[in-house]
Amino acid sequence: MNTAPDSDKVLEIRDLQISFSSIAGTTRAVNGVSLDVRSGEIVGLVGESGCGKSVTIRSIVGLVPSPPALFEAGEIWLRTRRGMTETLSLHKNMKALRQIRGRDVSMIFQEPMRSVHPMMTIGKQITEGILEHEVVDPAEAYERTVEMLDLVGLPNPAAQMNRYAHELSGGMRQRALIALALVCHPQLLLADEPTTALDVTIQAQILELIRDLRERMSMSVLLITHNMGVVANLADRISVMYLGKIMETGTVEEIFKEPAHPYTQGLLASMPSLFSQPKTHLQSLRGVVPELAMVPKGCVFADRCPYVMPKCDETPPVVELRADHSAACWLYADGGETQGSEVAETAMPALSDEGARADPLQPVDVAPLSSSEPTSEGALGRPSENDVAQLQIENVALHYPILRGLLRRQVGTVRAVDGVDLTIRRGETLGLVGESGCGKTSVGRLVARLVEPTAGRIRFGADGGLEEITHISQKEMKRVRRAMGMVFQDPLSSLNARMNIRNIVGEPLMLHQVARGRAVDDRVGELLEMVGLRAAHQSRFPHAFSGGQRQRIAIARALATEPSFLVADEPVSALDVSVQAQILNLLLTLQQRLNLSMLFIAHDIAVVRHVSDRIAVMYLGKIVELGEAREICVRPVHPYTEALLASIPLPMPGLETLREMPKGDLPDPANPPTGCRFHTRCPYSQPICEEEEPPLRHIAGDADHFGACHFQDELYLEGVEEIGEIQGSAAAKAGGK
Amino acid sequence: MRTYILQRFLQMIIVMVVVMLVSFIIVELPPGDFLTTLREQLTDQNVDPKVIDSTVEMYRARYGLGENWFIRFGKWAWSLMKGDMGYSMQHNRPASELMGERLSLTIWISIATLIFMFVVSVPIGMLSAIKQYSAWDHSFTFLALLGVSVPSFITALVFLLLSVTLLGATTVAGLFSPEYVTAEWSWAKFVDMLKHVWIILFIVGLGDTASTIRVMRARMLDTLGEPYIDTARMKGLSGAKIYFRHALRVAINPIISSIGLRFPQIISGSTIVAIVLTLPLIGPLLLEALLGEDVYLACSILVVLTLALVIGNFLADLALAWLDPRIRFES
Repeated sequence: MNTAPDSDKVLEIRDLQISFSSIAGTTRAVNGVSLDVRSGEIVGLVGESGCGKSVTIRSIVGLVPSPPALFEAGEIWLRTRRGMTETLSLHKNMKALRQIRGRDVSMIFQEPMRSVHPMMTIGKQITEGILEHEVVDPAEAYERTVEMLDLVGLPNPAAQMNRYAHELSGGMRQRALIALALVCHPQLLLADEPTTALDVTIQAQILELIRDLRERMSMSVLLITHNMGVVANLADRISVMYLGKIMETGTVEEIFKEPAHPYTQGLLASMPSLFSQPKTHLQSLRGVVPELAMVPKGCVFADRCPYVMPKCDETPPVVELRADHSAACWLYADGGETQGSEVAETAMPALSDEGARADPLQPVDVAPLSSSEPTSEGALGRPSENDVAQLQIENVALHYPILRGLLRRQVGTVRAVDGVDLTIRRGETLGLVGESGCGKTSVGRLVARLVEPTAGRIRFGADGGLEEITHISQKEMKRVRRAMGMVFQDPLSSLNARMNIRNIVGEPLMLHQVARGRAVDDRVGELLEMVGLRAAHQSRFPHAFSGGQRQRIAIARALATEPSFLVADEPVSALDVSVQAQILNLLLTLQQRLNLSMLFIAHDIAVVRHVSDRIAVMYLGKIVELGEAREICVRPVHPYTEALLASIPLPMPGLETLREMPKGDLPDPANPPTGCRFHTRCPYSQPICEEEEPPLRHIAGDADHFGACHFQDELYLEGVEEIGEIQGSAAAKAGGK
Repeated sequence: MRTYILQRFLQMIIVMVVVMLVSFIIVELPPGDFLTTLREQLTDQNVDPKVIDSTVEMYRARYGLGENWFIRFGKWAWSLMKGDMGYSMQHNRPASELMGERLSLTIWISIATLIFMFVVSVPIGMLSAIKQYSAWDHSFTFLALLGVSVPSFITALVFLLLSVTLLGATTVAGLFSPEYVTAEWSWAKFVDMLKHVWIILFIVGLGDTASTIRVMRARMLDTLGEPYIDTARMKGLSGAKIYFRHALRVAINPIISSIGLRFPQIISGSTIVAIVLTLPLIGPLLLEALLGEDVYLACSILVVLTLALVIGNFLADLALAWLDPRIRFES
């Protein structure tokens, strides 16, 4: 059985089975995974969290501690400098494993912030790796490290050698870690969610770097991610993993153009993309990834699959659909491909559907899979021009003093929010988008008066006309808050773990004396059903719910007092793709049903575009562009908006949205650049940009679109076009090559 | 880095001044005049009235009695700094004379206890974390829990009992064998002290050592779970390099910063043990002074102990800054 694979393969995993034993019993985390990576190839391993992706790639290099892990079956063949080696059998042989790690195969991890040693200089950490594997003198190791730091694009590499982790930003740390991983020229790089913790513009830079290094160092990459967009732009082939099994494997084109497995289709449809019809329901997978102990027999996806049939009680075979494209699904077995392609044609989501491509502007008419959510058709009302304002903030600022030294003197000011004007009309959703540290969360907190504004005016219309709430007392604010709900990013830490759901959701009711006693129970029951949970679960505690369910609870609490305005601060960014789609659908439904106005804050412009009527783009405490949602995405006027759009990895292989990427990191908000704050990263920067700060003003010929760029009426910036145009331009690009 | 040291140093001075002020207030609190008490005492001892007058006059001048409180404080503080600890009314001797040897012995024993604690607990805690749930880990978890929960005076009594009944020893108590107690310092006396001191170190340090083992184990486990340890593993480093070069320096951080806090614990812990084992340490003297309302002596001891504590803290801060670049960076 132990025959080495072909020589063009760098890695081959055969039928890997890993279980974990605990007090509760044994669960199988990896259940028969087979996977290969060829020379020079980038392979993406995609799936939601808890599907066994990390365990699979960590077992390649023996990073899974055993016990508790139990390697029950399988082989892992890795091409090393000594020829093909089976690494699973080396797990007890630390010495042999150590020779492979860092030299033949390297790994970069999800959290660059925590993956660099905090008390060692960058240089020392990297040279340590060289000295471990090669007999070189320290001076040469030093030279090579500097070269490597240069290669990964760190500015002034010699100076970086003596710096510590805390002196580098997240993006720079990930670059340093890539340098560390590649300094001994391994043939295979394992990348475990390398960009998940980074901002979109930085993510785009890191992906570009990996792509570039693959060529220059002629290595292969095995990349884990939950983001379909990331693999579309980077990978050659993709394996989709779900609950310890590979559901589908194929080239990137095949997977995206003709996804065969219902799980792949669901993942693709769940992503709000820059092409989806805004304010419609995303076709989300129903349910959530079950606990490993509750995995269905037979096909593990059966309980969430829209095409489930009796046969799915048995384990589906892996069907070769084409050379290099296989799926583990009963749809394609037996009767052969006819049945499969039939299903694929009728039921495939819009992106991959031939019909939709022919008539792209047709609204995507998808019936939601979850019965608890009403259909998306009907009045998707947009607020009209003369609607009254619900919230108006004028020139609002939030400054934090920086205190230093013995006497805590103020040595500077962090201008988290630095003069922002916004108006939200009744029934409107305003999306606020920007990278972390741009001040968008502070705006949300200012609006809810959770922090005291340094300057400016906040006016809010609880019921009727606008009233000033900038400096009213917290006692008066209590009355206003009844009309204002807030949903936070982390659904676990924003729910009190010691309170049951009835008290969490019912607390606002009691606080505002809306209900008491039995009436609270009834109202909480109603609210829970409204957000798609069971009324009977009132007595449970937050830890009994999954991430998506907790966010539903948080939404129920925010809506308990029937507010007319909701602040949603990154409500979906901590959730898996399929759950994210469910929560977005829920928010859209509730907004229409309850006629809510909403301030929707997120870092992902695709998500924001999907739910918002208008979008405000924020950079270093200032609004740089404001306008109608689709207009902003199609015809951005500020280079930063263009950069944000270009940074979103599109779930369309071969499509290069990347024009010129913004350079470097977000500047220090305590010391923002002079003039236009974006000029340090702007590819179109002119001398005037360094001196004069452009005000937010109308775009010529468009009363609803504002920009803060000196050249907004002259520059032609590239947005993301509507589906029809993009297909055309993709074809043109393909033809041009 | 320089600002950091300066900052810590100034903090140290401020703490010292505050402690001295509080001590001074305590000195001033008892009703009546110290000089009256002194005069009475000397009269009781039938001292020549002329000598009494001159002694009282000397103290009046030295401590500025009868003047403003801040002048009195200034004079008191100044004489303290010059090493004059005041006068013990209970013992009729200058306080510095009484404290002398006891103080230095206490400080040396405390430092030795600290070193003992480090040398024993850090390796054990580290190994317990590396071999989590092994027989080694389980046995030291058990022993550490025992060490934390048994009060040190009980351990001291048990030792006394055991050494008397089993070994037939007669000289377990005390720091020296009887023939050396009053002898001048010599090599022989030092060797004799070493024979006795390890029991004291063990008894005084047991509780702290046990709790430090637990802290070290927990910290090491946390650190080994950090992503940067995975990064180190993926370089192909050996276990020893990962544990010592990468994990230890992070894990040991809170233990170093707790040195300052350990110090008073050790002094008060050693007081109880010193009473049980009749050791010539400063603790029993302080207790006696407090019970006998011997204010000058008590205050002097407090001030000196605070000084030792503050210096200990300062050194711990310096060690931390040397170890952790993030602390250096902050200032």
